[in-house]
Amino acid sequence: MLDPRTKMLLVVTSASVLIGGGSGGAMNVIKPVLTAVPLLLFLCSGKWKAAVIYTTVYTFAFAGEIFLVPVTTGFVNFIVIACCGMFARFMPGIAMGSYLVNTTTVSEFMAAMERMKLPQKLSIPLSVMFRFFPTVTQEYGAIGDAMRMRGIRFGGGKPAKMLEYRMVPLMVSCVKIGEELSAAALTRGLGAPIGRTNICKIGFKGYDAAAMLICAVSVIALLLEKVT
Amino acid sequence: MIEFKDLRFCYTGEDGTSGLKRINLHIRKGEAVLLCGESGCGKTTLTRLVNGLIPHYYEGTLSGEMRVCGESIQDTPLYDLAKTVGSVFQNPRSQFFNVDTTSELAFGCENLGMREGEVLKRVAQTADELSLKPLLGRSIFKLSGGEKQKIACGCVSALGPGIIVLDEPTSNLDMRSVNDLQSIIAGWKAEGKTILIAEHRLYFMQGIADRVLYMRDGEIREEYTGEEFYKMPPSFFRERGLRSLALTRLNGCGACADSEKKWLTVKNVQFSYSRGERLLDIPFAELPENGVIAVIGHNGAGKTTFVRSLCGLLRKDRSILEYQGDICKARKRLDSCYMVMQDVNHQLFSESVLDEVLMSMEKQDEKSAESILEALDLLSFKQTHPMALSGGQKQRIAIASALASRRSILVFDEPTSGLDLRHMEEVAESIRELQKQGKTIFIVTHDPELILSCTTHILHIEKGRIWGNYPLDEVGRAKMMEFFAGDLLGKEVCYDF
Repeated sequence: MLDPRTKMLLVVTSASVLIGGGSGGAMNVIKPVLTAVPLLLFLCSGKWKAAVIYTTVYTFAFAGEIFLVPVTTGFVNFIVIACCGMFARFMPGIAMGSYLVNTTTVSEFMAAMERMKLPQKLSIPLSVMFRFFPTVTQEYGAIGDAMRMRGIRFGGGKPAKMLEYRMVPLMVSCVKIGEELSAAALTRGLGAPIGRTNICKIGFKGYDAAAMLICAVSVIALLLEKVT
Repeated sequence: MIEFKDLRFCYTGEDGTSGLKRINLHIRKGEAVLLCGESGCGKTTLTRLVNGLIPHYYEGTLSGEMRVCGESIQDTPLYDLAKTVGSVFQNPRSQFFNVDTTSELAFGCENLGMREGEVLKRVAQTADELSLKPLLGRSIFKLSGGEKQKIACGCVSALGPGIIVLDEPTSNLDMRSVNDLQSIIAGWKAEGKTILIAEHRLYFMQGIADRVLYMRDGEIREEYTGEEFYKMPPSFFRERGLRSLALTRLNGCGACADSEKKWLTVKNVQFSYSRGERLLDIPFAELPENGVIAVIGHNGAGKTTFVRSLCGLLRKDRSILEYQGDICKARKRLDSCYMVMQDVNHQLFSESVLDEVLMSMEKQDEKSAESILEALDLLSFKQTHPMALSGGQKQRIAIASALASRRSILVFDEPTSGLDLRHMEEVAESIRELQKQGKTIFIVTHDPELILSCTTHILHIEKGRIWGNYPLDEVGRAKMMEFFAGDLLGKEVCYDF
């Protein structure tokens, strides 16, 4: 529905404004709007599960900030503020990012980068990274299976070890896949110093204009807030 | 078309055992050449020279001369070679740049800057020629191995290069998919393309290969015409560590099914994706305890899902395994079953081989860990990092940790895909050894040679249901062969039982 460039802009905007922005004034309107954008997008593209998870987590974090923070004290209060505050601020950005990755094909992503006239030195590594998200998820799942079979579970009292067990095989297989992937892409002419063409259709439409307006207003508000 | 003169190559950082020594080779236009030989003989390296990945991507020291279409490969950048040489690789997981099939077919043409109309025309034409229409617009992650390899061939066809290089393309395929690949390759040959293919499976190139090169230790040792090669007696292949040509040439020396035995039962194995039809539905099955059970069926039949359920890896799994009088639910099976995964890298976690085994023990006991390693021929590597070892050794480490954790049911997911004869026999040997120790073993496989050399029972799954469940005696063997041969009917190779 949206152009990949708009989606990227939305990710950057919601992350920076929600994390960096203060409260009060125009932010009282802008923050809820930016928070609602990912939900709206999830609903429009039929990603019901993502919509439900996002809404639930955000509601809890938000409710926590309002109701739990005033009634707790000391260390508990600190934990509640940290957790709820983090979730409430980071969730929209993360949700927007996952929307970007899940609804954009690699080909569209590359087309977007070419339209933005990014040099190949930047656009190729970025698209490889983009291609890598689903692969990492898949590998992560397979390693999770292996860990469950070995009886390596959380609660074993060694969180650092857990991380190591998860990350080492993940790194190994990602490096291997990455290497083979690059080899395959190179034999098919990736990186040729000629204008790359693209068959997928991307371009700005009405929705993009609306989304960009939101982004522009939010960023201006953020800047004004920082200046004053 | 392709010309090598006194070519030597050695990968950077290696002692030269895996490189090439003095290759002299001339491949004419329109010729189909099959490269065979044991793992590590230099087949893959040779294919990488033709498609330019050596020296442009994989580094090493190179001497001698090589030309493709008259142009020196050293001086031709990869993106120019892309127009003349197309490549299909072994691992279908890692050769696609896009996630959806249509973009993937267009990818090569886009890179070379063809106009949009031309790209679309070529994609449509390729889809038509290779009958890829049903696969268009789908996610790569939802295709079976055979379908992925077809798309990989499509990507090559769309670019229309004169030379096509294939590096062990059938490693992960069932026989039916191998046949599809066979007809694609035959089609290319008919179009006059020059084909170079490195393979362990040899039968499907009969009638296509004009020339067969046998490699060993980085050299081309022997050279045959296709006709000569496919008439050789079975002993010829055995001596060279090559896989059998055809099913008829296989003679089962495997463990025979014994008559008195206990049974384990699986009940109520069901699985479906969140939306869509039921993928797996096995209400009841009885299988021999302490048997070696081959789980066979086509790509996508539900074999892997079945063994995942067996190991307790599926979520919301209500199935039950009755084993040695115990009723095991999914949760409990996580502790009594163990799977040696197809990509064994996923299941090695620690810094040394010994640690890997110790970690699996309930009470860490170095003595017994060492005896397990000794039995698997791994003791001399006990302080080595698992990732530094070869594929077969890694597989044995996984077996060692299963033994250390006293699992009684072991599952192997395609343990011999892409292995040569010697390595396949090593795997079969380990499996027979495990059976002697009283384990029950399941093997998901497409490899009739492996089945004949170590299994006792067949479980045939098709479309998520059991199609056959029989011991591998005389009758069972014929039935099993019929399954594998059924896929080959109507092909040039003929099979008489």
